[in-house]
Amino acid sequence: MNPNSKINGPTEVFSPNDDAELSAFLADSYARGIPLRIAGGGTRLDLGALNAQQTLTSRALTGIVTYEPGALTLIARAGTPLEEVEQTLAEEGQALAFEPMDHRGLLGSSGVPTIGGVVAANVSGPRRLQAGACRDHLLGVRFVDGSGRKIKNGGRVMKNVTGLDLSKLMCGSFGTLGVLTEVALKTLPRAERQLTLVFSKVSLQEACTIFASALATPYEVSGAVYHQESAWLRVEGFAQQAAYRADRLKALFRENQIDVIADEESRALWRDFKNVEVFAQSSEPLWRILIKPSEAPALARSLQLLGGDVFIDWGGGLVWYCGSAQSAEVRSAASAGRAVLIRQGARPASDRFPEDAGAISRLSAALRKTFDPAGILNPKLMGD
Amino acid sequence: MQTTFTDAQLLDPDTRRSNEILRSCVHCGFCTATCPTYQILGDELDSPRGRIYLIKDMLENNKVPDKATVKHIDRCLSCLSCMTTCPSGVHYMHLIDHARQYIEQNYKRRWDERALRWLLSRILPYPGRFRLALKGAALARPFRKLIPDARLRAMLEMAPRKIPDISKNDLPQSFAAEGPRAKRVALLTGCAQRTLNTDINDATIRLLKRHGCEVVIPQGIGCCGALTHHMGKSRESHSAAAANIRALVAELDGRGLDAIVINTSGCGTTVKDYGHMFRNDPLASDAARVASLAKDISEVMEEIGLKDASHADPLRVAYHAACSLQHGQQIRSAPKELLKAAGFQVLEPRDSHICCGSAGTYNLMQPEISSQLKEHKVSKLEAVQPHIISAGNIGCMMQIGSGTDIPVVHTVELLDWATGGPKPPALAATL
Amino acid sequence: MSTIAMPKPDARILAEAPQIIAALRDALPAGTVISDPEETRAYECDALTAYRCPPIAVVLPRTTEEVATAMRICQRFSVPVVPRGAGTSLAGGALPTADSVVIATIRLREILEIDTTNRFIRVQTGVTNLSVSAELEAEGFFYAPDPSSQLACTIAGNIAMNSGGAHCLKYGVTTNNLMGVRCVLTDGEIVEVGGPFMDSGGLDILGLLCGSEGQLAIVTEATLRIVPKPEDARPMLIGFDSAETAGECVARIIRSGLIPVAIEYMDDVCLRAIEAFAKTDYPKCAAVLIVEVEGSQGEIAHQIERIREIADELSPVEFRSSRNKDESLAIWKGRKSAFGAMGRLGDYLCLDGTVPVSKLPYTLKRIGELSKHYGLEVANVFHAGDGNMHPLILFNANAPGELERAEAYGADILRLCVDVGGCLTGEHGVGIEKRDLMSKQYSAEDMAIQMDIKDVFDPDWLLNPAKVFPLDVSQPYRDRASRS
Repeated sequence: MNPNSKINGPTEVFSPNDDAELSAFLADSYARGIPLRIAGGGTRLDLGALNAQQTLTSRALTGIVTYEPGALTLIARAGTPLEEVEQTLAEEGQALAFEPMDHRGLLGSSGVPTIGGVVAANVSGPRRLQAGACRDHLLGVRFVDGSGRKIKNGGRVMKNVTGLDLSKLMCGSFGTLGVLTEVALKTLPRAERQLTLVFSKVSLQEACTIFASALATPYEVSGAVYHQESAWLRVEGFAQQAAYRADRLKALFRENQIDVIADEESRALWRDFKNVEVFAQSSEPLWRILIKPSEAPALARSLQLLGGDVFIDWGGGLVWYCGSAQSAEVRSAASAGRAVLIRQGARPASDRFPEDAGAISRLSAALRKTFDPAGILNPKLMGD
Repeated sequence: MQTTFTDAQLLDPDTRRSNEILRSCVHCGFCTATCPTYQILGDELDSPRGRIYLIKDMLENNKVPDKATVKHIDRCLSCLSCMTTCPSGVHYMHLIDHARQYIEQNYKRRWDERALRWLLSRILPYPGRFRLALKGAALARPFRKLIPDARLRAMLEMAPRKIPDISKNDLPQSFAAEGPRAKRVALLTGCAQRTLNTDINDATIRLLKRHGCEVVIPQGIGCCGALTHHMGKSRESHSAAAANIRALVAELDGRGLDAIVINTSGCGTTVKDYGHMFRNDPLASDAARVASLAKDISEVMEEIGLKDASHADPLRVAYHAACSLQHGQQIRSAPKELLKAAGFQVLEPRDSHICCGSAGTYNLMQPEISSQLKEHKVSKLEAVQPHIISAGNIGCMMQIGSGTDIPVVHTVELLDWATGGPKPPALAATL
Repeated sequence: MSTIAMPKPDARILAEAPQIIAALRDALPAGTVISDPEETRAYECDALTAYRCPPIAVVLPRTTEEVATAMRICQRFSVPVVPRGAGTSLAGGALPTADSVVIATIRLREILEIDTTNRFIRVQTGVTNLSVSAELEAEGFFYAPDPSSQLACTIAGNIAMNSGGAHCLKYGVTTNNLMGVRCVLTDGEIVEVGGPFMDSGGLDILGLLCGSEGQLAIVTEATLRIVPKPEDARPMLIGFDSAETAGECVARIIRSGLIPVAIEYMDDVCLRAIEAFAKTDYPKCAAVLIVEVEGSQGEIAHQIERIREIADELSPVEFRSSRNKDESLAIWKGRKSAFGAMGRLGDYLCLDGTVPVSKLPYTLKRIGELSKHYGLEVANVFHAGDGNMHPLILFNANAPGELERAEAYGADILRLCVDVGGCLTGEHGVGIEKRDLMSKQYSAEDMAIQMDIKDVFDPDWLLNPAKVFPLDVSQPYRDRASRS
């Protein structure tokens, strides 16, 4: 880890070394009402004009606390670099099945992605389709809330329904409810082999039909993406299994021209998909839009009319839109789904997250107030 | 479950048995899922678990049954689906039977209901009276709209327009086996069945004879007691059952019997329980002997094996599993396997574990719930698009038959036909 | 009865009961409200019969709007509301209080939408777990969470308790298969949370609702993720002469990179009960594992072979893999009848603690020692792959004092689970049963924030009273609520 990592925005950075320091700092900030920018490695949030005087990061809270491959569990301090986690798991032939992306390419950020940041942003890659999101692999958390209370929730076991599930709530709350200090995650075996079926010259409509058929098979398709007339399906497993699955899918889509890419080449391909490399070179606003897969083609058409390009993941369930359209236009086009602005481009927007319907908005605001009564944690990031 | 019976209460053998049953129930609620009345009414009180609770409360506290308890117990079909489902082996049948008897003895029903129950108990088990009553019903039918009581209306609706002539086959006698005799069996000719449909016994006798059985209709055989048993009228049911036990034991001790064949599964469930009914009676050992020899016709035929089943068309037959067969006697595959062996294409409707709503006199006493169950059952049966519906219980046949144009026949009629017997009369018109 | 304390019924509510019942009757269709004491009695408990208390009334609505109407009336009278599904909770999750109204979702039984293109089903939450999969059968899909009570339990209860099941090692629990809900808040407002998309983008309120044990809202409709059925599945049975070796085998299988769909564990007490009840041909040994794998024939064969290699290193007493449907049924038969078989031995308390898989052998050993200490027999049958234990403490409910002894033993086992790094409940929920043990797992602050959240959703503290939070811990919150 690099304590000098550059973080965009305010320069005053505080990186507590333990929970007690963090708790004291937050209790003090709460008492004095000092708005804080909350960050892990600072790679994921394109915060722009966030009204915060100081940055509080968890990046000094590092280290893997426990890793039990036989129990498929890993506990790590929030600031532990993602790379360290992934490396440790790889040595045991395991991985984080939800395939967290690295935002640095897209956002031009230069910090070190941390496991806490992954959890805070509920970052999930293409395999989310089959294996679930980050929140589905989160077993427990420790965090300090906006008034300095040290809280734990969940635990380290896969089945745990003791009390309310705050882990889910923390996951994807982007630091607005508290600062994570420790996370427990479910790990899974890394597949022995992976094969990618490449479909060329298909429309998005055709691709979505292919995705729906493929995802209705028992072959555990673990990736389904589309970009500019090509569609990719990924299957994994032990060697014979991956081959069998690929063969069955090829038979199912025998009308189509299909190429197969294997192992390292395939892994590299999906690394790029995961990180949405296609839009890394651009600096235009980038939107992440969650939608019912069958509605992806219509959404893509209306977005393209606004100018720009789309990249489709999760078999249609996730539409990445890179283009200069106004926020209001994008939100109107994506009204059937949920649009989150990931990269602001030249024109900072205040509404990164979709506006919720009445009760949800009211409940979310009340929950934020409960966790952060002084409104000092990434203020107004997710709404009032 | 914990129970609070006193030692004094437990001196009563029925209460002792109920205590055993209640103690084995863990209140898990699995039974609710397969209970037909719970499916329709969505109230715990109309589920086995709710009824068990009501019964427990009533028996533990020696209560005079209240209206609500009676209502919910009355709504039970005694289909015993819950017994198939129960993971803990709770003997719901003995418990509900005890409760019904307790209610009959300790609860005063309204006059019209008492009259109705009395009437049914005095008519249905007696073929002569029943025949007369049906003729009367034919005369009354045109005026049915004027009858205020839904149950009486239901009875008139249910009464068949045509009733067959008395069958000589149902009189006490013996039919010799065709070819060498393999078994000597007694046939229970039933009570209501003899009036409503004589084809079933005729087909059964032919089928058994063809398969090497000497078939005896014992002197003195009559109603098995099930109809009154389910009304809690234990005096009537016990006397009917006792008469049967004596008649059958006479045959057993005389020329001997290999089996007591029953082709009305509702009766079969009761006859098989004679051992329990008479456990504290001088007839106990005789009752147990009879019970152990009692077999559904499909059990007997499964044992013998169907021979030369080449006469049938490979028609689509939807098999309706009578609750008394599938739950009461736990006979599920035999009828279907026999029909398949006979060359029919056997179709199973969805939700086959759910009762058709016939349930003895239930369709007469609870017409609303019963007709909902009938509708549901008929729609599932029709959904598999059969040529024929086959069932092993006259009650189900009448119930389903009143809701569909697809012919409904007894399984034995099809087996008889397929092995050389005549085409079932019910099929003559349509197929 | 037993040792769990309940708050004193509110005399004001008891006095107003006739008005409350009248208001409910006036606002709802006939046959919706039950208030005859003879009839409310059947709702006095769920599948945990040690605690019982009939409510003022039971409401059986048929629509979300009727649920909302009932909620509004209850809020108007400040009457506690106990949400109920099928009443199969083993933790007393649906136990009423004397001053409460039960609102059951059991009549909400519509299947609203099946969408195989987008892989979801939308249902009213009174449908049973198994009937959801039955609806999907023809489409080649199923709904993955499969609690043992799946035949009877409702989706409403599954969501409230975040139910798991035997197959969650591979498919996850309810929260991993829930995409959206329609629910009713305490003021009667009807709210949609989530929907047929894979993330909401905002705060994960859906994740918070799932497993909240009826503390926050009543869920009346749910959008559930559906998964394609595997081509085939086959179990194998592995017998060991020690619990420890069986536990080791579980850890090695998981570590090997295989994810069996289920790993079930049964100990000797359980095996003996099963043998007497279900007439299986299980080996007579200290522990039996049933491991099920799924996939194509080739995939299954491959996995069985790898598991055989792993097991062989540990010298099993027996290794048997199924070759066909009948053999599969024979292997599962005993496991499926385990609870029924145990019921025949007497009354039991079914616990639900989870421990890290590596701590299984130690925990089993300690449970055995405690069994001697308390003089009560215990049987262990559970989902070993995820460490979710179900020790069944056998006792005689009709013998004075035995329930209390069984409860004390159970509490010790659950404390043990927490001490080795696990938790009080893996899938049954805290309910009433484990309420007073919450302080063992959570600090005052951990619980305070959870109660703060309850304040947000249920400021009057009307929903599912006296559950989840120890009474002394929740006292200030409840006092504040009743004052306001």
